[in-house]
Amino acid sequence: MTELWNVLADHFSEFSTGFWVTVRIVVISFVIAMVVGTLVATMRIAPVKLLNWVGGVFVEVFRNTPLLVLLFISYAGLRRAGLPISAWVAGVGSLGLYTSAYVAEALRSGVFAVGKGQIDASLSLGLDYPRTLRYVILPQAVRTVIPHLGSLTIAMIKNSAIIGVSLLALEDLLHQARLVNSRTFQTDEVFFWAAVGYLILTLLTTLAVRRLEVRYAIHR
Amino acid sequence: MNYLFDPSNWEWLWSGNNLEFLLKAFLINLEIAAIAIVFSLIFGLLLALTRLSKLRPLALAGGVWVDLWRNLPLIFIILYLALAMPPSWQDAYEDVVPSFFPEALQSGRVFAGILGLVLYNSAVIAEIMRAGILSLDRGQGEAAASLGLTYPRQLRYVILPQGLRRMVPATVSQLITLNKDTTLVSIIAISEVMRAGRTLSSGFTAFVGGVEAPLLQVFIFIGLLFVAVNLALSRLSRRLEVRERKRTAGPVGGVEDQTALVTESS
Repeated sequence: MTELWNVLADHFSEFSTGFWVTVRIVVISFVIAMVVGTLVATMRIAPVKLLNWVGGVFVEVFRNTPLLVLLFISYAGLRRAGLPISAWVAGVGSLGLYTSAYVAEALRSGVFAVGKGQIDASLSLGLDYPRTLRYVILPQAVRTVIPHLGSLTIAMIKNSAIIGVSLLALEDLLHQARLVNSRTFQTDEVFFWAAVGYLILTLLTTLAVRRLEVRYAIHR
Repeated sequence: MNYLFDPSNWEWLWSGNNLEFLLKAFLINLEIAAIAIVFSLIFGLLLALTRLSKLRPLALAGGVWVDLWRNLPLIFIILYLALAMPPSWQDAYEDVVPSFFPEALQSGRVFAGILGLVLYNSAVIAEIMRAGILSLDRGQGEAAASLGLTYPRQLRYVILPQGLRRMVPATVSQLITLNKDTTLVSIIAISEVMRAGRTLSSGFTAFVGGVEAPLLQVFIFIGLLFVAVNLALSRLSRRLEVRERKRTAGPVGGVEDQTALVTESS
């Protein structure tokens, strides 16, 4: 047991730097995923065939490609092609776009849950399409998809660990854990503390989502 | 854009046996996925039943197990297993692995990858199945019990066929995720498609007089392989879903609603 605490005490600075890098990756990717996801969802439900199609292709491509492949393409691939992209941009860009495809699908299903009658009612009241979206559909859709967006966020936290071990030199929690392990060889202890770090993030998010759900739940 | 579509940058695909090399490596991914899917479904069902058990301590232990594994990053689990697994486990794997398996799956090193995939995905699938069973009307089990069916028979003939069928879309979408996640075993040096892609684009082929394979194009091609297989899987699942809906009373909506169901019931 003392071994366990010694590892944490000796390498606390590495663990905490890694933890905060992971938090930063997650927060930035979350913003990208939400913004792009909302845009793509809007395209998919817009009354323009071409936009529907573009949105559909985006979703299917980013949802069905492994994140590791996206990271290879966006970092090493683009660099070899002569585009000097930084590890941070490639990392959060890949994770953000990958998650945004799922977010778009979640929002779209939420919009369908709102019901056509509401949209018709809003249009017949004289609101144009963007306003119908802004004031009638999205506020309701977002509420119904909170649990799903929550589980996507948790998946994103877990996926962020892929960034640190792939060729991108972002020193996130798992990356730091591997560095410490390569110096101390106390694998069980090092990975225990890294697991604690990830569980703090995933379980806290689970709790936060549950609170949001209770607060914004629509009782039908 | 010109660089991306320049035919000379795609020449590698048709030259030599590059294409065959990549596809063979991709097959390894599909095989790892197939093995992991079978075991994840089996253990997922067992875990779901454990969590629903009437024995409190057993249900609680199942809950802790499931919540632990599904809340850790899969890549973390695989890396840890690869570093910490005792060599005797790898030997045991090499002893039991059938000889008709491809060579890449014969080595004990791949065991950490498969075990990690199964630990993680069985926990996720257990939650999906549990949500499906819980979404059934209580009356179903009670009616079966009052007809004199024992608990195993209630499960076998009444609860599982209905509860699991409802969750087919959510399960398939998790299996698609599993298929993508097989690329993660490249981290522990299994020669699957990611490794093959790196070998091809390492510049070595150009050095020995072949055609240069640019990394960007190689990995775009690998991405498209996954898109093709995963799209086929999801189309298949949608077709099954439509057929089921015609046959039985309306199941629980699409994938999104089911994921919501999983989060709500946990």
